[in-house]
Amino acid sequence: MTAGVRLGAGLEPGRTADLELGGAWLVDPASGHQGPGDIVISEGRIESITWHEGADAAGIDDRGVVVAPGFTDLHAHLREPGNEAAETIASGLAAAAHGGFTTVCAMPNTTPPIDRAAMVASVAAAAVASGSPVRLLQVGAATAGRAGEQLAELGELAEAGVVGFSDDGSPIQRAELLRNALAYAGMLGLPIIDHPEDLAQTAGAEAHDGLVATVLGLRGWPVAAESSAVARDIAILAEVVRDVPGARLHLTHLSAGASIEHVRAAKAAGLPVTCDVTPHHLALTDEWLAGSRRWAWLALDDQGDARDPWRDRALEVDPYDTALRVNPPLRSPVDARACLAGLLDGTVDAVATDHAPHNQVDKDVEFGAARPGIAGIETALGVVLEAVDAGLLPLARAIEVLTVGPARVVGRPGGSPGLVEGAPADLVAFDRRARWTVDRDSLRSGGWGHPLTGRSLPGPVVLTVAGGRLAFEAR
Amino acid sequence: MGSLLAAREGGAEGSQGESSAPRERAWPHRHLLDTDVLTWPQVELVLDTADVMAEIVARRRPRSETLRGVGLTNLFYEASTRTRVSFEVAAKHLSADVVNVSVTGSSIEKGESLLDTMRTLESLGTRVLVIRHPTSGAPYLVAREFGGSVVNAGDGRHAHPTQALLDLYTLRRHLPGGSLRGRKVVILGDVLHSRVARSNLWTLTAAGADVWLCGPATLLRGFEAWAAAGVGGERRFTVTSDLTAALRDADAVMALRLQQERMAAGLLPSLHEYAARFGLTAERLRLAREGCLVMHPGPMNEGVEIAPSVAKGRRSLVREQVANGVAIRMAVLSLLTSAAGSGLP
Repeated sequence: MTAGVRLGAGLEPGRTADLELGGAWLVDPASGHQGPGDIVISEGRIESITWHEGADAAGIDDRGVVVAPGFTDLHAHLREPGNEAAETIASGLAAAAHGGFTTVCAMPNTTPPIDRAAMVASVAAAAVASGSPVRLLQVGAATAGRAGEQLAELGELAEAGVVGFSDDGSPIQRAELLRNALAYAGMLGLPIIDHPEDLAQTAGAEAHDGLVATVLGLRGWPVAAESSAVARDIAILAEVVRDVPGARLHLTHLSAGASIEHVRAAKAAGLPVTCDVTPHHLALTDEWLAGSRRWAWLALDDQGDARDPWRDRALEVDPYDTALRVNPPLRSPVDARACLAGLLDGTVDAVATDHAPHNQVDKDVEFGAARPGIAGIETALGVVLEAVDAGLLPLARAIEVLTVGPARVVGRPGGSPGLVEGAPADLVAFDRRARWTVDRDSLRSGGWGHPLTGRSLPGPVVLTVAGGRLAFEAR
Repeated sequence: MGSLLAAREGGAEGSQGESSAPRERAWPHRHLLDTDVLTWPQVELVLDTADVMAEIVARRRPRSETLRGVGLTNLFYEASTRTRVSFEVAAKHLSADVVNVSVTGSSIEKGESLLDTMRTLESLGTRVLVIRHPTSGAPYLVAREFGGSVVNAGDGRHAHPTQALLDLYTLRRHLPGGSLRGRKVVILGDVLHSRVARSNLWTLTAAGADVWLCGPATLLRGFEAWAAAGVGGERRFTVTSDLTAALRDADAVMALRLQQERMAAGLLPSLHEYAARFGLTAERLRLAREGCLVMHPGPMNEGVEIAPSVAKGRRSLVREQVANGVAIRMAVLSLLTSAAGSGLP
């Protein structure tokens, strides 16, 4: 079969997939197998996978079209209900498909928040109504109203199908309540997903507490505000698991080396803790706030220390781009490198996008008034591939942390990600020979302003098939 | 955006020194958002132009036609007397049509976005927008979209470029030889929250001064790292909480205003303790060089960061700073409106 993608007749988004993917580089992290091969999909199921060998395999490498299981995003904000001007479930799932994601875990900080079973059902109904085949998994609130005062009805939420509990951007500050949440959720077999932040240390904070914040006069968000919360969470988990062996803690969007180090030690001690990092904390840094546009790994010298963006004349554009305001903030190049090191050695289980779209009213304002968040579900693959292209991350590991890594954290109805004959097709194909440009026209998300606007990224998604149905196809 | 981009590429050139630099007389900047983008020749051009403006100010009827028919708006989101009046007087000396807009609270509280307010003022004929705002970086947002010139009159903790230029101008008039090269200049007090300190760091180090930042450790947060990196990656300065070391042999001391809120934020125990440990007194000034110059950007808390006898003493340049502010702002306004792309003749 010649290289390329052949689609069945009359294919359109939402339709059952009938297609052949020929001469592609297949990556199956579940089996650990990768190499040249063909996949035939018939009536939404993988009819056959043929691995090429010998002469057939000649000329096909992992620099061309890559086919992998569909990605799972542990952390996305779809904004519906309550802020449909920024994103809807339909636009968010379309953006996910464009990014190669076939499963999205939606955070509960909508208005009203997803803290009751009935809310879970209404979001699920909206997902069905959107017509998107992308699977929406709901994260339930950990406390009633995400107010951090008392537990939400975690059992009811679990029965309604949530995959974990989180107060996300309003993290539980009362330590004994977190202890109870871990125990109660552990009894239900579900993780607590914590956004680690000691709010007492971050009141009014605008940027990573470092050189760039000092120079730009921005109020500092110290690493200690995250790492001390991580340490607290882990210390409590260590006690809870003695009584509740099923207790599990997932720490989301870790941004600092000190936090990664805590998780590394906790895993070495055998504690049931997992964590994720975002693409922007891997590749972007606080120097972007000053006007730099170089990737994090290019901002380090040979000794692994941060280079000075002023000395390097790395400042290309205006400072204070509110598209870069995000929580936790973009950190130093050294922290970004620590996040990458965590991915490489298995301390970090997943890349999650923290896709956080906002409308223009909330972003086209003074830096300190802008809502934090980067809508990155469509650019996650491209940013991770930049690290792969730079030789810092093996392709197979990049795929792993977008597929089986996150699936292990939340489980996945419909089976774990993999390329398996007879299973419903759930996969992504992207072209590493090509690049695409991030701009208003190329993005499906309703979010306003993207920090990579105008830049090109490698590996445009050619095709996304979710649960046997076509979710995205490049024109 | 284009002009901002060009401005950043300019960069301050500390290594050029202040006397050997070639003079580029063309002024490229449409906006003045901070001193960081000014090359040393550009700083000198401002100071030289201010000399010309000072002569106009000294006339019995100070008037120039430079900005005749040009709409200038002072848009102030923070209370200010001296800076606002200084810009107003400077603009009127240049014959501009001046409008003052004061907004208490932020634009967000007011319900209209900063950009919408800017667009309204632009539609009403504003060509020069002088903006003071409590949020660091706010003038950059405005400059990206505004068709005329934006002057930063103070943004959050970040920058106060005309203050830094008038400080430099004032120092040069009083230091022997009119040069800051090798002169020890101390900025004393609440450096953390000071836009005056930040803007002065760029210009004073570019002028070749030996700059010392001094204050309690809580109010110097982050500046050790900046000192280690250098200003613009090159020009060094010193950070210390040792007031004696800072004042010893100083040629000039700038005291900064201490806000009452710092106590509530837990940064300082009390005003009393601050005055006792870091107040600029006549006795402490004896550590400095004979004739050490004393400055303050105002408004002063006399008896806290500066003793009344020092504030009103022989070596105090506080009143002259205010007077020089008018000439500097006239210079800045005339240069900005002469820049290509300012849309003005």
